[in-house]
Parts: sequence; C-alpha cells; structure tokens
Amino acid sequence: MPGVPTDGGAVGTVVPFSREPGDAVAAPPVRTIRHGVAPPVSRVYVSFSSGNLLQVACLGPPIPEGGGGRGAQEVAVGRVVEVNLGGGGSGPGGADVEEEIDEAEMRRIQYGSVPAFALLQSRKNALADAAAMSRVPSVSEHAEWWQYVLEYSKTIGSLLGNPDSLPAFMIDDPKTILKDREKPTSLKASWELLEIFFVDKQLKSWLPERFVDWLADYDSLLTKTENTVYRTLTNFQKKLINLQIVEDDPDYWNGLAAALSVGWLDIVVNMLRFHGSYQLDQMDNRETENGLVEAVAVLVSTMPRMRPDLPTGKLGHCCKTRPDFIKALEKWRGQVNKLECSAFWIQCGHQKTRDGLKNLLHIMLGNIKNLTAATSHWLELFASHFLYIRPFTVGFEGMNHLAQKCIQLKPSTDNSGLTGLLGGILSENPEVVLAECTKSFGPWMVTHAMELLTADNDYADMMLHEERPNIGGISLEELHRLVYAQVLCSHSLTWQIAPTYLSSCLNQGLGLLEILLLKQPIQDNRLVLKTLEICRLYELGNVSTNIMKIGGIYHWKHGRKGTGVYWFQQAHDKVRLDRIALQLFENIGKSVTDDSFKKWEGLLELLGSDIGSAGGLEFLHRYRDFKRSLQQAQEGRTGESARQTVEFLIQLMRNPSTPQRFWLPLLHDSVRLLNCKPCPLLNVAETTLLLNKLQELSMAKLRPDFSNINLPNHALNSVRLALASNLARAILEDP
Amino acid sequence: MADHSSFRRHPHPFSVDLVRWLPTFGSTGRLLAAAVHDPAASSSHIHLLSVSDPSTPLTSLPLPSRATALRCSPSVLAAATTSGSLHLLPSSFDTDSAVSVPSGALFHVGPVRGLDCGGGTGGEEWVTAGEDGRVHVVAGGGDGRVVARRVWEGKGMVGYQAARWASPAEFATGGAGCGVQWWDRRKGDAVVVQCKGIWGHGIVTGMVHSIDIHPSRKHICVVGGSSGTIFAWDLRWPQQPIPLSGVGLDGTAQPVCESEVWEVLFDNYTQSSDIISSASTRILPVMMCSEDGILAVVEQDERPLELLVEPCAINSFDIDPHNPSDVVCALEWESIGVLARGRDTMADE
Repeated sequence: MPGVPTDGGAVGTVVPFSREPGDAVAAPPVRTIRHGVAPPVSRVYVSFSSGNLLQVACLGPPIPEGGGGRGAQEVAVGRVVEVNLGGGGSGPGGADVEEEIDEAEMRRIQYGSVPAFALLQSRKNALADAAAMSRVPSVSEHAEWWQYVLEYSKTIGSLLGNPDSLPAFMIDDPKTILKDREKPTSLKASWELLEIFFVDKQLKSWLPERFVDWLADYDSLLTKTENTVYRTLTNFQKKLINLQIVEDDPDYWNGLAAALSVGWLDIVVNMLRFHGSYQLDQMDNRETENGLVEAVAVLVSTMPRMRPDLPTGKLGHCCKTRPDFIKALEKWRGQVNKLECSAFWIQCGHQKTRDGLKNLLHIMLGNIKNLTAATSHWLELFASHFLYIRPFTVGFEGMNHLAQKCIQLKPSTDNSGLTGLLGGILSENPEVVLAECTKSFGPWMVTHAMELLTADNDYADMMLHEERPNIGGISLEELHRLVYAQVLCSHSLTWQIAPTYLSSCLNQGLGLLEILLLKQPIQDNRLVLKTLEICRLYELGNVSTNIMKIGGIYHWKHGRKGTGVYWFQQAHDKVRLDRIALQLFENIGKSVTDDSFKKWEGLLELLGSDIGSAGGLEFLHRYRDFKRSLQQAQEGRTGESARQTVEFLIQLMRNPSTPQRFWLPLLHDSVRLLNCKPCPLLNVAETTLLLNKLQELSMAKLRPDFSNINLPNHALNSVRLALASNLARAILEDP
Repeated sequence: MADHSSFRRHPHPFSVDLVRWLPTFGSTGRLLAAAVHDPAASSSHIHLLSVSDPSTPLTSLPLPSRATALRCSPSVLAAATTSGSLHLLPSSFDTDSAVSVPSGALFHVGPVRGLDCGGGTGGEEWVTAGEDGRVHVVAGGGDGRVVARRVWEGKGMVGYQAARWASPAEFATGGAGCGVQWWDRRKGDAVVVQCKGIWGHGIVTGMVHSIDIHPSRKHICVVGGSSGTIFAWDLRWPQQPIPLSGVGLDGTAQPVCESEVWEVLFDNYTQSSDIISSASTRILPVMMCSEDGILAVVEQDERPLELLVEPCAINSFDIDPHNPSDVVCALEWESIGVLARGRDTMADE
C-alpha cells in the first residue's frame, strides 16, 4: 500500500500524522522509525514480513537519469526498515496463558502436541477410510475411539505439567499442612476438566470422586481475590509457627472443617494430630478429650469412597461397587451418629474442641448448614455435596442443577476461566466451552480441545463439522485450526509445525500451506532446504519449483552465481539458465583475453558433464574444452592435440547454440594453430564452412545491432588469410 | 532401536542450531558447546553447557549473526556465522579473550559453513570455506592474534558448504552441485581431484552438507548431502564414489532417509561387522543425522541401524571423542538430546 507523505514532513517519521489536541486519550501510540533516507521521502511501502516483523520501505525521489557520476557518490535513495511489532505484546500463546506460562514454555507445549495430534488425525482418517471402504464401522472399532482420544488427552496433559511430581529432596515436616508441589496451571486444570467430563468413560461411575480429586489439585486457581479452602489453609499454616495452643485458635477449627468439607482427609487427620491433648506433658486430665479427637480422626480416615483406588497417602475406604458402597456408608454413618450421641462429650472440658469436633461430625453426616459454612467457593460447596450429601449424582442435568443451587448459596464475582468452563460443560453447551477456551487460553487450547469435545458428543461433533456459509463454507473446526496455524506461522521457530494443522483443513488448508511455504525466507540455503522438505512431504512439486527459482534469482543477484545456477538446475528452469548463459558469455568474452578462464572452471564443473541438458550453458562447456585443448596444442605442439583442437573448433562453429559474437574470437584464437602447421589441419569442406561463417560475420557487421568485441582491427583479415592459405594447402593435398 | 541406550531431551528456550562436545579439562566435568539463536531478540550466542543440566548456560559468547559452523580443537572453540565472520574462543572460556575475524572483503561475505581445525607444523590452522566461494586458512588463535590467508577466491562461482582437513597439507571441501574437491597446499593451493558425487544424471545434482575424514584413513572422505545421500570417496579411485545410502540408486545402497543428511561422522563406537576385511577396503561405520529426524549408523552393504527417530529434524550431532558411546544432538524443536548408548548396540546384528 503505497502512500505519499506530505511535503516537508518531519525527519524520521514516515507517515503523516496529525494529533488533534482533543483526542489525546484515544490517540494511537506513535512509533518513530529511523530510515536514514534523506528527505523528502517520496514513497512508502508497508508489508508484513514473517512473524511480527513489519517491513517499511522508504524511497526518496528518483535520481534524474545521467545526473553525474552515480558510481562515485552513491546516495541512499531508499531503504527497507524492519520493525518488530512484538514488543511486549501477546506472543504465540495468546490470551491469558502468558501469566503462568512463558513463551518458550508455550512453544514446548506446541511442539509436543504435534505428534499426538497427528497420530489422532491419522487414526481418524484410517477409521473413516475403513468405514467408507466396506461397511459401517464394527462395534469394536467404534468403541475404541474414545480410548484413542483418551490416549491423546493423556499425552497432551503430561505436556502441560505434572502436579504430582514432587521435588527430589523433601524433608517431611510434620507441621506442614499443604505439601509443596509444582505450581498448578489453569491450562492443565482446564484440560483435565475436559478430559474428565468428555472423554474418560471409565470414570462414569465415580465421576463425583474424580471431580473432588480435581478440586484438590486446582483449588488454588479458582479465584484470585476471594477466599478458598486452599487459602484458609495456607493462612493458617503461616500462623501455625507462632501458636502455642492450637485448639484455642478458631482458625484451626475453621481450617479443619474446610479441609474436611472438600474431602482432603489426609490433611484433616494430620491437623487433628496437632491437637494439644496429644502432648505427653499434660498437667490436667485430657484423656477423654484426646479420645474424642482420635475417634474423629479414625472416622475421617475410614470414610467410604466410591472409587476403584486411592493414590498413596490419601485416606478413605475404597468401594468398587455401588452395593458395597451403600453398605459401608450405612455402617460408617451409624458410627458417626453413635459418636455424636455419645456421653463422652459432657466429660470433655474444652469448649472449643467440643464444638469443633461436633462440627466435623455434622459435616460428615452431610448437614447442609455446616457444609455451607465450612466451604468458601461455590465449587467447593459443589464438591462437598458429592462427598457427603449426594454421592450418586450422575448426568450433566443433575450436576448442573446442583451447581446452580451452589452458586445461589455462594455467589462469586471473581470468576476465573475455570468456573466459566465448568458452567459450559455442565450446561452441555459446547459453544460456551469453546468460547471459554478461546477467551482464557487462546488458539492452542481450542484446536486441541475440540478433539476432546467431539470424542463422544454427537451435538458437538455436528456443530464443529457443519460447513457454514457465513465463514466461507468451512466448518468451525477448520476455522479454529486455521487460526491456530496462523499463530504458529507468525513465529519463525514454530512455522514448521503449522503444516500439520493446515493439512488437516480440507477446504482452505492446502492453499494457505502453499502461501506459507512461498513466504518463507530464501536467503539461507538450509532454511530453503527445510521448506523444500515440507513441499516434498506434502507433494507440492510446483511450490518447491517456485521456491527454488526464487532462491536461484536471489543468489544470482547477490553474486553467488554458482548457488544461483544450482537452484535453477534443481528447478529445471531452462529459460533462466539460457538467460544466465547470455550474461555469462559477456563476462567470458572479456575474461578470455586475460586468460583467467580458471575462475570459471568451478562453475563449469557445476554445470555437469552431461552436455545437452544445461540449456544455453552447453556452449560454455564446448568452449572450455576448446580453450584447454588449444592451450595444450600450443604448449606441446603435438599433432594429436592440434587435430583435436580443430575438431572442437568445427563442432563449435557448427553448433547453432554458439553465439555469433564468439565466432571471430574463436577463429582468431586458432590463427596461430592454422598457420604454424606444415600440413593443413582442415580439409576443404571444413575450411569452406569456416569461410562461410566468416562471410556471414562480415555481412552482420553492417547491421546496427552488431556487438563489437575488443579484438585488433586486423583480426578479420588475419583470420581470412589463414583460412585462405589453409584452403589452398588443403586443395593441394586433397586427392 | 537399541534397547539399552538412554535418551534424554533437555528443552532450551532458543533454537539450537549446532552442538558439540568439548574436550574435557581435568575436573570441570563434561561440557557441551551449543550455537543458539533467539529470533525474538534476533540474537545469537554460543552457550557453554554442562551435560548434567544442559538447560542453563555456564558461559555465553554473543555472535553478530546466526552461527553456521561450530568446531573445537583441544585449545580453541571456533564458530563461523551467516554474515561471514569467524570467532575463536580459547579453552579457558574467558569471553573477554575471544578473538574474531570480521566479515568483509578481506574475509568472507555470507554464510561460512565449512570450518575445520587442522594441526599444521606451526600450530593450529583453521580452514574456512564459504558460500561466497572463498577459502581461507586462519592460523593462530591461541595468543590473541589471528592471520587469515586467502587460499582461493571463487568469486561466487561455486558455493562451499563443508570443509575438512585430511592432513596438514590437504583438505576437502564440498558444496552445492559441485560435489567434493580435494585441495593440496603443496601443489599451489589448488584443487587436485574432484568428485561429482552420486546424484542422478544430467543436471540433477545435490548439495554436500558435511564431510568427515577418518584420522587413520586419510585418503577416504565420507560425504553427506541432499536426498538422503551418503557416499564414501576414496582418493585411490576418485571416479568411483562408494554409495552408503541414497534415493534412486540401483540397489547398491538402501536409503536411510529421503531428506537432507545434515551431518556425518565416523562412528568409532560401532564396530564394523566384518572386522577382518575392514582393515583395507571396507568403509568404517558412519553416523548421520537428518532433516526427517533420524540419527542412524550406516555401513557399507548393511542395514542402517537407527538410533533415534524423532518427530522433528536433527540439525546437528556430535560423538564424544572421549566416550564414543555418548552422542549429543540438536533438535529442531528447541532442545538438546543426549543419547547414551548401551553395550548392546555393539553386539546388535
């Protein structure tokens, strides 16, 4: 987009820009570009280069033709300035992710997800092919699909960080409530949430427990400003060091209730052991009190949980089947009730212990009032319902209903992406889920999460794959993939993985891939080879030919003639090779007289020994052979080499590809050879041919377009004389 | 894939273009040198890394442009760049004592991919061969003074991509379309033998990316280049290169890969399967890395042994000269891979 700036614009600024005093607030930031072109700048071109680079070309007024020695005082009439727009802006990760994940880390995730994505796509295609080839996919194939997606989901999940990984050296302090772990990220939390609700069918029966586990891992991410169970416990941890009598502090009992309400049983039992009655140096009689604390701790640690297993260190009694669980739950609740009604409470002298423990028992019995008081965030209340009130909650509808109830009880203003995402999941609204993913985590998340959404959801599948005329006839899935591919293309380190995603876009992917490949820089041979490798993988022969031609022209223009010719040859570009040949002839015409032909040896070697395929450059080969042979003949003066030289000469003169302006120099070079031999080297027919050529040349000399070569004036005459005497001798010898 | 080898990937926050083992000095532990490039800041560095934790550099030497070649001798670490400069860092790794030969009319203009250290009579000598067609021999480097002497001014007629010393007087170069050249400094600094390579016929040629010469058989070059091509060139039969791998050859060699072979090195660790005859005619095992992510050992008339099959390109690799079982490689996806080969690799097959 060329633009003409106003005359006399300020030096340094390229684009005319007027700032009105009124709209100072809305004024866009101005960036000064130093281009070093003497004003006035007559033309400005702006174009996007790779990544965040903007190329600004500034051209001064054209220098008038023949305006003095151009070579002597070369002024910069124009310059291309590269402007990096990425200063502090959002990188390839996009959106909010950068807060927790830096760009290099995001690129690591992007790289790592390529093989998993490609594998899943190839499996999908294989299944589709099988279905198209023969029959409806057999039940077993169909049933396996979600397992493939689960495998994919686990692979990508492991890239996002492993919250269970503990530092190698850990000194277990008994007073530590929350264990140090790798800092959880909301990206990982969201991914797991999608996996739990959309993919993993093995979880169906114990989904509530899985959600409780999820909350235990990511409770700290729910909100930045409001209180959570995690925050309650961290605050108490800080306070703990200065506490003499723990059980007198209300925060101790609040922390216990909070931890129990969301099912962090190991933490509850650990904290109960902080209780003063466990200390050995007791002055008064606290045996009953200690007994009650211990009884609660035992009840907590034996709580029945409907799940196949528990990770090490977690407490509870696992029940695999529903009847087992109901039986165990009945028994356990009976025990809790029994303790609650026990007479020992009267003997417990410590008021706060009595109240605190009773509160814990009420939580275990599922008292809604106590649960509401113990939890902070609505998600925590939601989880506590699963644990203590409705352990059999199944189906999105029931969960959504429960979630709405919890939100009413504990309204929250500071909603992170996680709560929005969960809302979308529970209300069975894939559009909302995708929108939340886009908003919070950017294109990477959307592109990869779509596979999870469609794993076992016909509506999402239809919604994402339906071709929509309002977005150019492509599906939403393709749109999101294209967007992600564009993000990858914008960075010089990630563009190489964009083709994987573009190739999965049936409508517009291939076209964009061709554009991407053609836009890659061609300055560096290695990078060109990397681009060509992608062309080879995707069978884009014509694109690679174009890239080679562009590269060839670049190198040729920059004086790397050999490399330029190499690329033209690879591209089988006969037209340009012929053009190059013409340019080379001009150079050779000059350099031959200097006898610096050696410089050209390398290039001729490059052209290959296979004459006939090098286009117009074929002549150079014959010419080289002739020169070599001539040199040998003149040095050695053996009859054999002289004869061969003459043969080369005849070949050259007969060949139509030999440019006319080389005829005379060729003949002139051979004059000495023709003269010095006692017996004629050429027979009558050959001599006649050369004389004819000479005649043709004399005629051409009269034409205005004849190019004169720096040869002595008598050259033509001396050649004519030599040929004539040779003809005479040849006639005499001819039988 | 050898079962008893272990491979670790260490992510690096920048593009890792080249990687080399450094000679070990006393108790400093094993060190790596890596040429890295950060496109966001458009900066390039040489990083010195410890093998145990290659993610954080110990020392860093800034370069004016992206590194194109990296080599080390017992006393100097050398890097050449895309702009055509040469940088020499003494083994003390004191970045202040680094010396450089700037790019320009007196040295190279454009990428210098051919770089190698040779031990001449008067100390170390570095040969540089650039895409601009110039060949230089740079002497010195230890005492802070370097002298670059032009051996050949090709004026861009040929572009060189690789260079390797064979003896103090001889070295080999290779490039785009021009195959391999053998230079002899005793014969007027000129090319004495030339080999076109084994790429097809007619105008189809290939690019040479890497050359290696075994110290005990200085008359044999092994060459890696375009289209998965690896061949050996024996100076005693210069017109008959021996194919080790390549596409579209008449069954004489199996292609280990179909893409660019970026580097080749003789692999001392893998023993030749035919020890008796290996003394004379057989080409010793060669390790290679490629654009399609393969690290493998190829041998004449044998099935290639794949050590790694990565989803991204392997741009560079190096075999530890002191512990030849250990291999380090630079992966396209911003990481360094360290492969420790187990004993079983040798006994394989």
